[in-house]
Amino acid sequence: MDEYVLDIPVEPPKELRSLFIPIPPEYVEDTYKSDDFLILVGPQHPGSGHMRLIVRVKGDIIQEVIPDPGYVHRSMEKLAENRLYIQNIPLVERPAIMDAPNFNLGYVRAIEEALDIEVPERAKYIRTMLAELGRVGTHLYDAAILAVFIGHTTGFMYPFALRELICEALVRLTGARFTSSFIIPGGVRRDADESTLKWIYDMTLAMERRLKSFERIFINNPTVIARLQDVGVLSKEEAIKYGVVGPFLRASGVEYDVRKVEPYEVYDELVWDMPVSDAGDSYARFLVRVNEIGQSLSIIRQCIKEMPEGRVISEQIAENGNDIRGSFYDSLSNIVLPSGEYTTLTEGARGTIVFSIVSDGESNVPYRLRIVSPGWLYLKGFMESMKGERLADLQAIYGSFGYFPPEADR
Amino acid sequence: MDEFIEFVRGGPLGPVKKWGTKWSLWPVHFVTACCGAELAHAFAAGYDGERIGALNYGIARQTNLIIVEGAITRKMARALKITWEQMPDPKFVIVMGACGLQGGIFWNGYHLVKPSDVVPVDFFVPGCPPTPEALLRGIRQLQFKIETGEAKTSATFPEISLEAGRKPRVLPRPPKKISKAPAVIVNAPKEVDWEFGQKLVEELKAKIDAKSVTITGKNRIAIKVESDSITKTAIRLKEMGFDHVKNVNVIDVPNEDKFIVEYHFSSYSVKELMPVIVNVFADIPRDNPKVKSLANMFPSADYMEREMCDFFGVIFEGNPWMGRKFLLAPDAPEFPLRKDFKLEEEVYVR
Repeated sequence: MDEYVLDIPVEPPKELRSLFIPIPPEYVEDTYKSDDFLILVGPQHPGSGHMRLIVRVKGDIIQEVIPDPGYVHRSMEKLAENRLYIQNIPLVERPAIMDAPNFNLGYVRAIEEALDIEVPERAKYIRTMLAELGRVGTHLYDAAILAVFIGHTTGFMYPFALRELICEALVRLTGARFTSSFIIPGGVRRDADESTLKWIYDMTLAMERRLKSFERIFINNPTVIARLQDVGVLSKEEAIKYGVVGPFLRASGVEYDVRKVEPYEVYDELVWDMPVSDAGDSYARFLVRVNEIGQSLSIIRQCIKEMPEGRVISEQIAENGNDIRGSFYDSLSNIVLPSGEYTTLTEGARGTIVFSIVSDGESNVPYRLRIVSPGWLYLKGFMESMKGERLADLQAIYGSFGYFPPEADR
Repeated sequence: MDEFIEFVRGGPLGPVKKWGTKWSLWPVHFVTACCGAELAHAFAAGYDGERIGALNYGIARQTNLIIVEGAITRKMARALKITWEQMPDPKFVIVMGACGLQGGIFWNGYHLVKPSDVVPVDFFVPGCPPTPEALLRGIRQLQFKIETGEAKTSATFPEISLEAGRKPRVLPRPPKKISKAPAVIVNAPKEVDWEFGQKLVEELKAKIDAKSVTITGKNRIAIKVESDSITKTAIRLKEMGFDHVKNVNVIDVPNEDKFIVEYHFSSYSVKELMPVIVNVFADIPRDNPKVKSLANMFPSADYMEREMCDFFGVIFEGNPWMGRKFLLAPDAPEFPLRKDFKLEEEVYVR
C-alpha cells in the first residue's frame, strides 16, 4: 500500500499566551508534526495542591514532562525579609502545614547556630518528639493521597482516621492541630505534662496496631502492588544526578538521612534504623515511608521514656524562670544575628529542608532567607521518572512522590 | 426556555429543587493551598462531610461548589475563574482560611490576590487553617442560605469601638530595625573543632583557583571565586565527589552594586562528604547580571536557576529556560526579590 503524505497546515493554538501556558509555539508545532500529543494535566485536578504538568505523549507513552509550578507561590522569601526573626516562625511552617514541626525546627536551628544558643536537654527531646509526630502525620497524609490518586477510597479514609490521632496529640501538646509554632529559639514554648506524654505513648501503640490492618487493606493489596510496582523507576545514579531527597532517595538505594549524616537534636542518642530499598520504583518509595512510620513511632516512645527533667527554654533567652509565656515578645523580638550566612539541613518528612539565613549583623530582620523545600528539590527527579511510562501511570508516580505543590512553591 | 427556568425556580417545584440542591453540594477538587489538609480531614473518616450531602468530585463541569482553600496566587486566579465559569448554575463559593479573606499571613505578598476579586463569594471560613468543624459549619450555613435565601453568619462576636481611646494617638514605633548600609558577608569565618574540614580546605586550596576558602561552621565551607570560574570550580568539585546541588541562591546587595551568586554543593555518593556543604559564590555586577549555568553538569540545579532568574533577573547562560517566567505568573512584578522592590509596610496601632 502506498503512503500518502498529507500536508496539513499546522497552527499552534492561539490561546497559549492567554492561558499562561509556558511553552513556546515552536515546541507545539514540533509536537504536531512528529505525531505526538500534548496533554495538559491540571492546574485543576483531583490531587492535593495544584500544578500543571505538560505531558508530551507518543501513543500513550510519555516522552517528556514539562512542569509548570508556581500556582501556590506565596512569596515567602520576600515576606521574610520584612519581618522580625520571630515573626517568621509562623511564616516558614506554612509551606507544608502537616510537616510544620520540621520546617519550624530547621529555621529555629539556623538562628540558634548563629547565636550559639545551647538548648536544654528536655527541650531537645520534646522537639524530636514533635518532629517525629509531624513525620508520621505527613507520611499518613501522603499514603492517603496516593490512595486517592489510584482510586482506592478505603486507602484514603484509613490513614486520615489515623491522622486524627496525630492531630489530637499535637492539640494536647501544643494547642493547634497543624501549625503549632511551638519550637522557638532556645527551646519550646512550654513544658509537656506527664498525662500528655502518657497519652502520646499509648497513642503510638494504638497506631501501630491499626497500621497492621492498614497493611492488610492497602499496603499488601494486590491491586495496589500491580499499580505501583516497577512503575516510575529511578536508578541510584539517576537519583543522585537529579538531586532527589529524603525517602525517595533512600528508595533508590542511597543511604542518606540528615538525621544520621549530620545528627541534630537527640537523634544520635536514640536507636533507630534507616529504611532503604534498592528497587527505586513507586512501590519502594511508598514502602520506605511506611517503614519510616514504624521507626518514627519507636523514636517517639524512646523520647518519652528517656526524657529528662529540667528546663525547656535556654537560660540565654529566658533569664527569669523556666517559662517564656508572658515575656515572649520582650525576650525574642530584638534578636540580631551576627553577620554571615547560616545554613541548616533538616530531614523533613519528604526530604531535606535547607534553610539559609543571611544576616547583615545590624538588622533584626533577615537580610535574605532562602528556603529550599524537599518538593522543590525532587521535582526534577519526579519529572524524569515519568519518561517512558504510560500515561495511566502518571497518577501512580505523582502519588508515590507525595508531591505537595504548596511545599514546593513556598 | 426562560419560562421553563422560571417555572422550575419559582413554581410549585421550587421548594423541591431547593431541597435537592441543599443536600447535593459537590465541591470541586480545587486545593489551592495548605488548607487542603484540613479539607481532606473534613471529608475523611474523622468528620465525614458526606453525611451532610457534600463530597469532593474531580471534574468541574459536574460540580456546583468551589471551596477555595487558602491563598489564591496571581497564577491560580485565572484557573479559579476558568473553573468557576465551567460549572453549571446554581453555583456557590466558600472561601476557607485567612489568606482568602484578607491575605492572612501573606497579606503584603507580591503574588497574592483576593478570591473575592475573582469570583463572587458566598461564605468565608476564617482561620489559619480553620478546623474541619468550622468548614462543615460553613457548608451548613450555605445550605441554610439555599433554603431560605438569607446569608447569615454562624458566629457573632461583640463589637468593640476603636475610637474609645484618647484622642491624639501616638503610634508605637515599629520594632523593625533595618540597616541603611548593610555589609553582607557570606563567608564569615568561625572557629570550629573539625579536623576533616581542615584537611578538606587544604585539598580544595590546592585544586581550586579560589580567592579564599573559609570554614564558616561545622561541615560548612565557603569558597569565593571569580564569576567566570564557577564552571571550572564545579568540575573540580565533581571530580572530588560532590555530585549534586542543594541550593542555588542569589543575594542582592544594591549599595555595593552587586549580586552574590551561590551554589551549595553536597555529596550523596562519598560517605565522608555527605554532611559537608560547599558554598561556591561569586560577585557579579548588578547592571549586567550574567553567569554561566551549571544545569548541564548538575541537573539538580536546573529549576533553582530558573527560579533565581524569575526572582532577580540573573541570567544563567546556557539554561534553556532563561527569559521566560517559570515559577511566577506572567503578570507578576518584575524581579520581586531585588531590594528595590518594596512591599507594603504594616502599620502599628495602639
